Amino acid sequence: MLGIIRIDGHEIPFEPGDNLLKVALAADVDIPYFCYHAALGSVGACRLCAVEIMSDDPDKVPRVAMACLEPASDGLEVSVSAPAAQQVRQRVIEFLMINHPHDCPICDEGGECHLQEMTVACGPAYRRYQGHKRTFTNQNLGPLVHHEMNRCITCYRCTRFYQDYALGDDLGAMRLRNEVYFGRFQDGPLESPFAGNLVEICPTGVFTDAIFRQHFTRVWDLKTASSICPHCSVGCNILPGARDGTLRRVRHRPHPEINRWFICDRGRYGHQYSEHTARPLTPRVAGATITYRKALIAATEQIKAAGDRIGGLGSIREDLEGNALLRALLNNLNGIFSAFNDPELEAATITAVNRIQNSDGTPSLTEMEQVDAALILGDLTAHAPMIDLALRQAYRRGAQLTVLHNGPTPLTQFAVTTLPVPPHEMGAYLSRLHERITASPASKDVQDESTAEIAERLAAARRPLLIGVVETLAASEIIALAQLATALGTDARLAYALPGANAYGAALLTLASRKTTTILEAIETGQIQTLIVAGTDPLGDTRLGSRWRAACQRLNTLIVLDCIATTTTAAADILFPVAAWAERGGTFVNYEGRAQGFAPAFKRLELLPSTAEVIADLVQCLDLYLPDAPAVLSEAFPGYQAPVPGSAGSLMPVHPLPTHIDTATRSDHEHHHKHWQAALTTWYGDEELASFAPALMKLAPTATALISPAAALNANIEEGAQVKLRGPVGTMTLPVQLDNRVADGTVALTRMALVQLGVGHGDLLELEPVS
Amino acid sequence: MTWTKQMNNRKPPMIIRLWHSLWVTLRHAWARRETVSYPEVKRPLPGRWRGRIVLTRDPDGEERCVACYLCSAVCPVDCIHLQAQQRDDGRRYPVTFRIDFSRCIFCGFCEEACPTLAIQLTPDFEMCEQHHSSLVYEKKQLLIDGQGKYPGYNFYHHAGVAVPGKTIGEADRDTPPVDHDTNLP
Repeated sequence: MLGIIRIDGHEIPFEPGDNLLKVALAADVDIPYFCYHAALGSVGACRLCAVEIMSDDPDKVPRVAMACLEPASDGLEVSVSAPAAQQVRQRVIEFLMINHPHDCPICDEGGECHLQEMTVACGPAYRRYQGHKRTFTNQNLGPLVHHEMNRCITCYRCTRFYQDYALGDDLGAMRLRNEVYFGRFQDGPLESPFAGNLVEICPTGVFTDAIFRQHFTRVWDLKTASSICPHCSVGCNILPGARDGTLRRVRHRPHPEINRWFICDRGRYGHQYSEHTARPLTPRVAGATITYRKALIAATEQIKAAGDRIGGLGSIREDLEGNALLRALLNNLNGIFSAFNDPELEAATITAVNRIQNSDGTPSLTEMEQVDAALILGDLTAHAPMIDLALRQAYRRGAQLTVLHNGPTPLTQFAVTTLPVPPHEMGAYLSRLHERITASPASKDVQDESTAEIAERLAAARRPLLIGVVETLAASEIIALAQLATALGTDARLAYALPGANAYGAALLTLASRKTTTILEAIETGQIQTLIVAGTDPLGDTRLGSRWRAACQRLNTLIVLDCIATTTTAAADILFPVAAWAERGGTFVNYEGRAQGFAPAFKRLELLPSTAEVIADLVQCLDLYLPDAPAVLSEAFPGYQAPVPGSAGSLMPVHPLPTHIDTATRSDHEHHHKHWQAALTTWYGDEELASFAPALMKLAPTATALISPAAALNANIEEGAQVKLRGPVGTMTLPVQLDNRVADGTVALTRMALVQLGVGHGDLLELEPVS
Repeated sequence: MTWTKQMNNRKPPMIIRLWHSLWVTLRHAWARRETVSYPEVKRPLPGRWRGRIVLTRDPDGEERCVACYLCSAVCPVDCIHLQAQQRDDGRRYPVTFRIDFSRCIFCGFCEEACPTLAIQLTPDFEMCEQHHSSLVYEKKQLLIDGQGKYPGYNFYHHAGVAVPGKTIGEADRDTPPVDHDTNLP
């Protein structure tokens, strides 16, 4: 039932339970405030949102109340402009400014400072108080967030976000009276993967962006455009800000169903890759820098010479347009296209997209916040940080989380049940869970108590969520998870954290699985002479890196289009540097299948073309006819309409994907006592693009071999001891760290270590102590 | 109408009027000249004359400009371009500061906006150049070695941040920092 309140004569409808401030802000009536935040609610800490409320009894004088704490009730008469309310607000500001330092010219918040705006709007313009100011020392909060505690106005937004919303525990309020201090117990980097949101949540300049600070510019000088985060498959809406041809910072852009007011630190600070000093900015042919036109001519000659002996690799981090045009070019030349460089990742992603398309719709982040039970497979914090934040909200609402993991994952601290499962046993465990859920009550054995408990919890939930991390699951396990969702009934929701910003689109364009293997084998047998690689690094970052490197030796020409310096760009015969995501427009398809457009925020001085533009130029040089990217896409996906940047995005039309999927991709060797299963252990900053962000990488955990205490006891290994790991490609020596979140018989390693050893998640490797 | 007629009726006779104007002319012929033969002779300009813009230094000899961008924001012709950078010791400064004097209209808004009294207009207008590009002044042409019109002011002695020579709590009207590790009053 809607009610009506009257604010200064305007009639405003409201939902029952809303407070006056929320109602007023929704109706674009400005009531000044500091501590209220739509995500964090009201606490009445700042006392700024004073309004005058008329009494029903005309003999009684109106009272001044805090709008954020006053529930809206039908027929309420409220005045924002009443002199009494105005006076309260002016006094509040004046008191806040007593201790506020004379910092505005050197404060990074200046220009977008809530305190500055409110002081101009309500407060006295000049300071009357001539006394002394209270001061605080600052803490070193790590490379991402700068602390300047003197500017604090004690609104408690930081701790309410950090502790209550993001469930972090290393930032809090200390001391008392007018000396409340917000900080850590000791100096040190903030541990939460969402710490960067403090920069936006703080209404003044206590927490500011330490990266932006290094090349600071005022908000009014920044060029911005509606954009989409390129760092994971969630597709958070962001606002990159650039000036003088360089990208300066990234902020959130609200999307009502995805990220709303927040983004993770990978999204906020990973953008530094586009300003990395090693970034290729000029075209190269055979190692020599050359003009773009000459590089095009060289590439055209090589493609013509190769005829149909040509292959192309698109990318899961490349936009839909670039991938689609590359595929169209290769179709035209009778070449082979795949958007993946790793067959197992290809199979897993295509399977996951197939299952998502066959499910009743993948939940958005806001829907995930409403679930009451969740089964989580893998480390969501590292692969899709904002899904982790959404599940933390579900946990706050009482959802019971179950985490099946191979290595450490931060979500385990909020889970009811956590179970370390070795990568090879995940499929078997899921089928046991499936049996348990589908079995009749009588036939249920009571031997496996934890499985029974998990199954019962999922079956009892009204809205259970099943979510898996595709990068650490095999195709068969992805199918098993989908079957589990089917077994749980129509209320169960299914989602997968895909491996890249456009992994969904890449899977739709690759169509059949095993395309990557086909390309790799064709190169090895000499059937492919020229390979075009767009925005991916087959030589550098997969378990097959060594095989790709050997295969590429047989190529005549390796043409690479990329915006970061990778092993593949270093090996390229012809290199086209392309625009990073903020410098061009395009479309990413997120984990739900939601296509979201992004617009170019700025142009670099070098005027780099996008991948799609380079391919379009190549097409022209080859005297071919190909339609432009939107036409290619609407031909490939009937009913597809390019989403407008800044809009809510549109779901990709359902597209037939192969239902028969080769599930026997994971190599199952006999378990030997020397063989350990490798598990990928990552952290929230670990991503191909973000790994070029220097400040974020300062937080990267040191490389260790993580093994469980029980397994260490069996193998007679002590914590801190050096162990030698031997994979098919290389060996390396790492110190052992014991962690009981690692499954038995598993050694959890960083991505860099896996690349060096030439193993992927779930592959076997040898481990022996170094004497 | 009647009023003008009366006025006309009162004016002196023609001969007196002629002799009066001749007298005025003669008096001015021997009066002191106001015109000076510039550029050989230069007139003193008032101190608040709005001419060539300079960047000044604080009493300690450090750059006053903290690169707050207010001058470039207020400039009505957009002739100021700067880029802030942070020194290792925490002081902020403009790594580039460029004024295009071919666009500058010497309105003095930048000086009014400047919160650190760094940017100042000086009584110098002799800036003619052959080419437009020579009128684009870089920071090394703008930064002078003195305090300009406002001696004695040091912004960092009023601000809350720590810089070399001034830790937190040492600014004018600051109390020593609160020890946040204790709850004792």
